[in-house]
Amino acid sequence: MAERIVSDSGLSETQSRTLRVMLDAIIPADAGRGMPSAGELDLMGYVAEFAPEALDAIRADLDAAEDLAQKRLGIAFGGLSADDAIDLVNTSRATEPRFAQTLITQALGCYYQDDRVVTALGYPAGPPFPQGNTVEKGDLSLLEPVRKMGKIYRG
Amino acid sequence: MAEDIADILIIGAGASSAAAAWSLSDTRMRIVCLEQGDWMNPADYPSNRREWQVLRNVAYSQSPNVRKRDTDYPINEDDSAVSVANFNGVGGGTVLYSGHFPRFKPSDFRTRSLDGVGDDWPVDYYDLEPYFAQNDRNMGVSGLAGDPAIPYHEPPLPHIPIGKMGNAVARGFNKLGWHWWPSDAAIISEDYEGRGKCLNLGPCNSGCAQGAKSSVDIAYWPLNQRLGVELRTRCRVREITVDDNDMATGAIYFDENGVEQFQAAHVVIMACNGVGTPRLLLNSTSKRFPDGLANRSGLVGKNLMFHPWGHVEGFLDGNLDGHLGPQGTSLLSQQFYETDPSRDFVRGYTLQVTRGQAPLSLALQGVARGDIPLGKGHHEAFRKYLGNSVLFNICCEDLPEEINTVTLDPDLKDSSGIPAPKITYRLSENSQRMLAHGIRSATEALEAAGAFQVNSWGQNRHTGWHLMGTARMGKDPAKSVVNEWGRSHDVRNLFIIDGSIFVTAGAVNPTTTIQALALYIADNMKKNLANLFD
Ligand SMILES: Cc1cc2nc3c(=O)[nH]c(=O)nc-3n(C[C@H](O)[C@H](O)[C@H](O)COP(=O)(O)OP(=O)(O)OC[C@H]3O[C@@H](n4cnc5c(N)ncnc54)[C@H](O)[C@@H]3O)c2cc1C
Repeated sequence: MAERIVSDSGLSETQSRTLRVMLDAIIPADAGRGMPSAGELDLMGYVAEFAPEALDAIRADLDAAEDLAQKRLGIAFGGLSADDAIDLVNTSRATEPRFAQTLITQALGCYYQDDRVVTALGYPAGPPFPQGNTVEKGDLSLLEPVRKMGKIYRG
Repeated sequence: MAEDIADILIIGAGASSAAAAWSLSDTRMRIVCLEQGDWMNPADYPSNRREWQVLRNVAYSQSPNVRKRDTDYPINEDDSAVSVANFNGVGGGTVLYSGHFPRFKPSDFRTRSLDGVGDDWPVDYYDLEPYFAQNDRNMGVSGLAGDPAIPYHEPPLPHIPIGKMGNAVARGFNKLGWHWWPSDAAIISEDYEGRGKCLNLGPCNSGCAQGAKSSVDIAYWPLNQRLGVELRTRCRVREITVDDNDMATGAIYFDENGVEQFQAAHVVIMACNGVGTPRLLLNSTSKRFPDGLANRSGLVGKNLMFHPWGHVEGFLDGNLDGHLGPQGTSLLSQQFYETDPSRDFVRGYTLQVTRGQAPLSLALQGVARGDIPLGKGHHEAFRKYLGNSVLFNICCEDLPEEINTVTLDPDLKDSSGIPAPKITYRLSENSQRMLAHGIRSATEALEAAGAFQVNSWGQNRHTGWHLMGTARMGKDPAKSVVNEWGRSHDVRNLFIIDGSIFVTAGAVNPTTTIQALALYIADNMKKNLANLFD
């Protein structure tokens, strides 16, 4: 299993366990595609840097997930299998779309801006500047029928 | 000490101001520009950072109400179907704009004669033609000559790449027999005038780190300063003052330390945009102008026009890398631009095709819609959409209506205590019908291009980029605020050069036309210098 580098800043032990299980459940690893799981990335470090205002809502999301697991399944969220965890998340979101909303939003933000993820998707790591991107100029022969239209403006 | 009097005082350092200052600088007059915002540093822009997709959200938001920089002013939009987008700093809105640069067309200046709506402008396309061309050279504009939807012109630089995504969309248009063309863009496709060419970074709307986007802090202001124009930042104007002869005397402003100052001037030029200019004029009340400066017609702040705007997103197969390239500019279709009496609306719209969504917004939206599941299947679904999204923007012509207004909010104020503008705006029935048509045609075009999924977002509130009409030009002082060359009918040394003076809105992004008009007005000022105030 890949090394976990979750920096648990500001989370209780239970919240940290819930977080790890939740992250691995919502975005699981996909070895075939070279995609890490969301739990392999440093979500809390990301939040501390880019969305500190989200911390309270994330804690609340984790507590709500823990409550729900205890209520519905009688065990801690942190003790759930990935299948049970994602079932719980998805069924809860079906009736309460805001369930774990902040956590999921921040997890996606952390995930889809991570160099490992971006390279696995086939794009260069790092910021857009200065390396930039290559974009095809386009096939101007496709303009042939448009050129044949002749003037289409009035006046 | 002799009084410090500027020959020309320009308020605001955005698109129109930069062009006019450049033109007027060859008079060797003393030109001073007061701008409430700062110089931008391209090294600070989000695209210098890996996390650009979130860093742009607040500090570079298009909404001053979200951005809340100390250089911004708040806007009350509670009674508006559209919220205002702007930027307050050297460069004005061009700091954040997409640089999509299509010109108004000849018919846009003659809507009353041709279609019985709006009003004719006191100038026409051909009056502005040389100024469009001059501005294209000054800004650095890329495009492809020969578009049959606009009088022939040759952009100085080759067009911006339309990409594999553009090819796919073009094939769809061709299947339907519709017009399309690579857009003119104020983005340099090749190295130009000491500036490096576009690197296809993507996020133009949070500032261009490369400086390839022709925002006027890059394209005009450094040159203007070398030509002797004095630009003072963090100077927020509260009021334009007048004497008993109805002549402007200068401006009261707060300097960078918040200290009230007065700058005297022989000529005052307003360039604060279609919201900022009426706000300032309405706040400049006096014995002679109890209803606001230059407002004897009662039209200052009235006839506010945006472009009613809709979005339709499509997903096309084929790993198109559609999210790469300058975000807001690729190609356009003007198949439905001109009035067609067989339709249930008058005038028309542009379909502006822009790049697809970047990975993060794609993921957020896909998860929210349920298209991209959480858990198993996430990666597969995400890859189905990534790079394959393309956005159709429906840019509708708005018609001037006096009920759409900028007024002063009785309570809301900026950090200097200046009353904030309040927007009152609703979409007309004509606009709603036009938008519905546009959404249908965007959908049809995407389907013709082979889209496997089309999401129609309908009218989008957060699209108030184009601010026009609130101090319209015209020959009749009872029906307009400024004359045919931008001079106030009421105050003979007061000029307005921004989008406020537009008589109608066209159905394209306005900045190239705003700047051509600003150059035209500056040229007329120079031609009439001897009797400027007659
Ligand atoms: C996100 C975004 C995308 C856009 N995309 C496009 C596009 O693709 N194509 C296009 O054509 N247009 C686009 N626009 C619109 C374009 O930016 C504007 O049309 C253009 O900048 C207007 O020029 P202007 O001179 O009228 O005013 P602005 O450029 O808005 O400049 C006005 C300046 O006046 C200053 N000011 C206002 N009040 C005061 C005061 N009291 N004291 C001192 N200074 C003051 C402001 O700080 C500002 O810098 C876009 C705008 C935004 C925000």
